[in-house]
Amino acid sequence: MANSAIDVPPRGGFSFDLCRRNEMLTKKGVNPPSFRKTGTTIVGLIFQDGVILGADTRATEGPIVCDKNCEKIHYMAPNIYCCGAGTAADTEAVTDMVSSQLQLHRYHTGRESRVVTALTLLKKHLFNYQGYVQAALVLGGVDCTGPHLHTIYPHGSTDTLPFATMGSGSLAAMAIFESKYKEGLTRDEGIQLVVEAICSGIFNDLGSGSNVDVCVITKGHKEYLRNHLLPNPRTFVSSKGYSFAKKTEVLLTKITPLKEKVEVIEGGDAMEE
Amino acid sequence: MDLKIEDVNAPHSMGTTIIGLTYNGGVVLAADSRTSTGVYVANRASDKITQLTDNVYVCRSGSAADSQIVSDYVRYFLHQHTIELGQPATVKVAANLVRLLSYNNKSMLQTGLIVGGWDKYEGGKIYGVPLGGTIIEQPFAIGGSGSSYLYGFFDQVWREGMTQEEAEQLAVKAVSLAIARDGASGGVVRTVTINSEGVTRKFYPGDKLPLWHEELEPQNSLLDILNVASPMNI
Amino acid sequence: MSISEYNGSALVAMVGKNCFAIASDRRLGVQLQTIATDFQRIYKIHDRLLVGLAGLATDAQTLYQRLVFRHKLYQLREERDMKPETFASLVSALLYEKRFGPYFCQPVIAGLSDEDKPFICTMDSIGAKELAKDFVVAGTASESLYGACEAMFKPDMEPEELFETVSQALLASVDRDCLSGWGGHVYIVTPTEIKERILKGRMD
Repeated sequence: MANSAIDVPPRGGFSFDLCRRNEMLTKKGVNPPSFRKTGTTIVGLIFQDGVILGADTRATEGPIVCDKNCEKIHYMAPNIYCCGAGTAADTEAVTDMVSSQLQLHRYHTGRESRVVTALTLLKKHLFNYQGYVQAALVLGGVDCTGPHLHTIYPHGSTDTLPFATMGSGSLAAMAIFESKYKEGLTRDEGIQLVVEAICSGIFNDLGSGSNVDVCVITKGHKEYLRNHLLPNPRTFVSSKGYSFAKKTEVLLTKITPLKEKVEVIEGGDAMEE
Repeated sequence: MDLKIEDVNAPHSMGTTIIGLTYNGGVVLAADSRTSTGVYVANRASDKITQLTDNVYVCRSGSAADSQIVSDYVRYFLHQHTIELGQPATVKVAANLVRLLSYNNKSMLQTGLIVGGWDKYEGGKIYGVPLGGTIIEQPFAIGGSGSSYLYGFFDQVWREGMTQEEAEQLAVKAVSLAIARDGASGGVVRTVTINSEGVTRKFYPGDKLPLWHEELEPQNSLLDILNVASPMNI
Repeated sequence: MSISEYNGSALVAMVGKNCFAIASDRRLGVQLQTIATDFQRIYKIHDRLLVGLAGLATDAQTLYQRLVFRHKLYQLREERDMKPETFASLVSALLYEKRFGPYFCQPVIAGLSDEDKPFICTMDSIGAKELAKDFVVAGTASESLYGACEAMFKPDMEPEELFETVSQALLASVDRDCLSGWGGHVYIVTPTEIKERILKGRMD
């Protein structure tokens, strides 16, 4: 019989072992910690030859900014990308899972992935977990049927729109889109509008901040413009850095030398007998 | 105004007005286009009239996620059914599948649907499938939060044997009446007409709808009606 | 009270030039009562990879055992050590598996790659990775550590300067956190050696 005490690695799925203990702790008045959220501004729009996605780069944990330059535009397939808002672990996990399913699907069919496939896989997962997997997504891509832009909500509902915003800054960004979006934008106009919408989130929503990431997807081509705009540079850097008047007092030092790295020599003489 | 974060994160629901009515020779389905999370309009141009097969459509109301999943499954089952049968599925079969899913999962679903379509056996038919999974064949059906404003109206104006033109005009008028009174309905009006000829979709933009009691003409911008010259106060 | 404040902890990792430092405080408490002043919060996975586990000590130790177990399985199968990036993904996967009943534990991972490039990373208790280029912090003193590191960090520091910076940041921060402190434990890892130092700090 297999020993169930040792959990052998690849199983997949969630484990609920600790739920009862954690519930007991909560009942006793000790609160669970908060998770890392991306109180975010993410946007997407369709322009004349494809889709443009945009995101800010702030990650928060309660009121603390825990990452000033994180990546919120996730890879799904070579022609599909996805912006994520909500609980960071969930957006990361759900996009990773679906992108691997899409890769396997491509190996199986030998064709380019379609955006609706990604959409269906994502909404299936999120609907299954009834909103407990907190991921709000903007999915964009170009496939053999043209450019597509979708939004996916944590409960598994989806919308198809020419322009979309999500996250805590979505209202600020939508204000920009609603007043300035028009059909058939050029690439530069599109990027400009996306940047403006993200900046509106960065400056008017406390949950969003730092830099602007942009991803432009066109037929057979994509361009990931990481940190396309840096509207919030550091203002307080000292070129000399800090010097410490008094050194820290060390009580004990232990030095362990590391083993030298073994080098493998390729193609030596074959062993003979 | 206090717009809370919870509003944006609330599950998507379609505080909706949906209508299905039969006329002499077919059916008309109509819906508004507002999808809201709390008080935020998440989508002002959504399409709540979803295709199930070539000749059967469904109007969705309630939770967006739930109604989408139900219609996705029904569409999938009907495609299979069509292939096995070698001929188009009837409206009754489609409505029964919707009912089956709604009834079997009623503790988990928050959605009311109106199925409408045309088939060669029974002609144009409308079936209402409200929250618990009941199925009711009706000459006309209304649903969603906006429907409470429409019961009396339909009791008065609906009659048997309308023409297509009359039925479509009635549907648009009814949805625009509900939009005027129901805060959770809004946007544009979409209609789908199904008869022996096939399917026609129509679209009525929000600024072309009739104005009802005390409604204002559409304005370009608030700045056009406010006094621009007045000084700014802090 | 939050469960991550039950035992108290402070963890920080910093990147230098072809080296990295990871440091922790030495206190183990049960709320305001101090239980131990020589507690090990940083664990060695292999010679060039260290992991610090902040948060609830019982979960930290359980998680550590599972990590060692998985790393040993990997060594048996692959006949090599895990890369820091791989290890970070492993930790993330183990934590996310318990998404709806998490370990109350925030890990800090620091390692040197085969090309002697330093790697540091932290996560929340359900495995959301944060890959930073400069420094990462965790524990009850994390708020003060963020401030101290933000001001003191410089890019491309040599091991000795890195040690001084990380120690100063740690000691300054734990002095403003009553749940952590009692000296510090610092590891400096260079391509040739691991230097482990114990710092003197306030004992109140």
